Amino acid sequence: MKLYDQIFNVVKQFRKLFSPGPVTNADVSGSITAEIFLIVSLVLSAILLRHVNMLLAGIVTFILAIVLISNIPLIPKFKLEQEDSLEKMLFYAIITISILVAFLYWGGNLV
Amino acid sequence: MNELIPLMVIVPLMAALLISAFSRFNTVTKIFALVVAICLPIIPLASNYGLHYFGGYEPILDNVTNAVYHPAITYSFTFLQQVFIAMVGLLTFLVVFIYLTKYRKVSGPYLFLLFLGTAAVTAMLLTDDIFHMFVFFEILALAQVGIVAASSINYSYEMALKYMILGSIGSPMMLLGIGFLLAMTGTVNVTDIAAAVHNGLINVTSPVFLMSLALIFFGWLYASGLPPFHTIKSGIYSKAEPHGAALLQSFTVISMISIVLIMFRIYSTLPIFEVLIVFFSILAMILGVSMALTQTDFRRMIGFLAVGELGFIGLGIGLGTQFSITAGLFQALNEIMITALLFIGFGAIVNATNEVDTRKLGGLLAYHPKVSLMLLIGGLAMAGVPPLSGFQSKLMLVQASLSCGFPEISILAIMVSIATFVVFVKTYYSMFLKPKPNDLEVENKEVPRAMIFAMGILLIIIILLGIFPDIVINGISNFVGGIL
Repeated sequence: MKLYDQIFNVVKQFRKLFSPGPVTNADVSGSITAEIFLIVSLVLSAILLRHVNMLLAGIVTFILAIVLISNIPLIPKFKLEQEDSLEKMLFYAIITISILVAFLYWGGNLV
Repeated sequence: MNELIPLMVIVPLMAALLISAFSRFNTVTKIFALVVAICLPIIPLASNYGLHYFGGYEPILDNVTNAVYHPAITYSFTFLQQVFIAMVGLLTFLVVFIYLTKYRKVSGPYLFLLFLGTAAVTAMLLTDDIFHMFVFFEILALAQVGIVAASSINYSYEMALKYMILGSIGSPMMLLGIGFLLAMTGTVNVTDIAAAVHNGLINVTSPVFLMSLALIFFGWLYASGLPPFHTIKSGIYSKAEPHGAALLQSFTVISMISIVLIMFRIYSTLPIFEVLIVFFSILAMILGVSMALTQTDFRRMIGFLAVGELGFIGLGIGLGTQFSITAGLFQALNEIMITALLFIGFGAIVNATNEVDTRKLGGLLAYHPKVSLMLLIGGLAMAGVPPLSGFQSKLMLVQASLSCGFPEISILAIMVSIATFVVFVKTYYSMFLKPKPNDLEVENKEVPRAMIFAMGILLIIIILLGIFPDIVINGISNFVGGIL
């Protein structure tokens, strides 16, 4: 029953996503789909690392799967980070340009 | 008939200025705007393929090095430009038509922004000059901000301002990258820069060249609405008038492909370039669709779906083969039409109910059967259901990633298509099929005929391209073969 309780708690937490206002079956179904889609697609993307190194892909995929599943529900956290706050948008824009520049400047010719 | 090539930019640009200047003459403005809008898709179809050198400065042959230099701003017009400019022209016509029939007194500045945006994306597609592209990229950004700010939706000003502030980071970065390229090659002509890169005249592993890639790439992320700009992009779609959003998304798609094609010609020798495109495209697909699944505002939901679909375009280009790039460009063409159809169709629902929250809607099938049917087909096309055009491009992308040795990407693409289908079914059910809430008042029972007309035209093209995709695929494939 532990897994069932965990999933039930996840569904209960989806209510925060839709407040204020009622939560319909369609909304909860959509959120559960988003949750599963997010986990599967991120794990699937991690498998792409096999083109760099097979062992690295295995380790990263395994760790990512454990981290993602043990941290469900992910969607409320993702949604919170992708709201219309200018501060968050600026934060992620600056982080991205920083990583891009650093990655290309020091490692662009390694790939 | 190469004189028609610059007219594709000059006509909407001059129309924008004239309409803005003489907007107090309402009837004249309306007639003039309609005539220009009709001309926009006709000019590219009537024009011959070729090059146009502004100022008449022909290319110069250096007899010592045998290199050809392009001193003029050059416009290049091929099948790819023809099909995309004709499509954005058609969409501009439909949007202007909807706008003119919706309001008795039209706004000159709003029409100015619509035509200005069209002129900007047309120039971005045509130009072979990277600085010229940047200038129109800036003009386009301002036009987009204006179109959002001019809408009557709550908080549209705030969203437009946020987009402008984020643009104040993205645009200077791109300009700096272009500056680095100019410093290294001494030219802003893309053909000359690409020739210098491919002939080994500059060191592609030098930090300055790599930095230029990073900076221009960041500017491209802003123009395309790929992460981290996916939130603001979906936000501006949701805060624009529905017909304005239909045009805005086409501007985004065209600026995305025009910049990425220029980058591809310059940076394709660097493997990291394709890795970056694939990475951000996958991220856009995952974030866009997962966020769309949790939305209750259907305009925002379409906005996030549009961002997710951009990932498919990037994926095709990032895989880097002739087949995959063709698939990506075909997907771009399809997205322009399908997303425009959805924005206009859902706009008709807003028009009828003044409600955007799917939880408060229901039972609209009985009131708007035509709109619901057209939206259903549009949604199925976006999800990639055969025999519609979205299916053809997505199938090509799945085949392309399989043939490139990336079955994970194929599976991911199929999963994203399924999730898109779920998003659409959920929204369609909430709006049209579930019982009508008691407190929902359906105000204007008649959907404007201009909207039905626009949706009908787009639907015909979607079905035609689904059944006969070769009409455009062969021409796009030939273009891609030329740049590879």
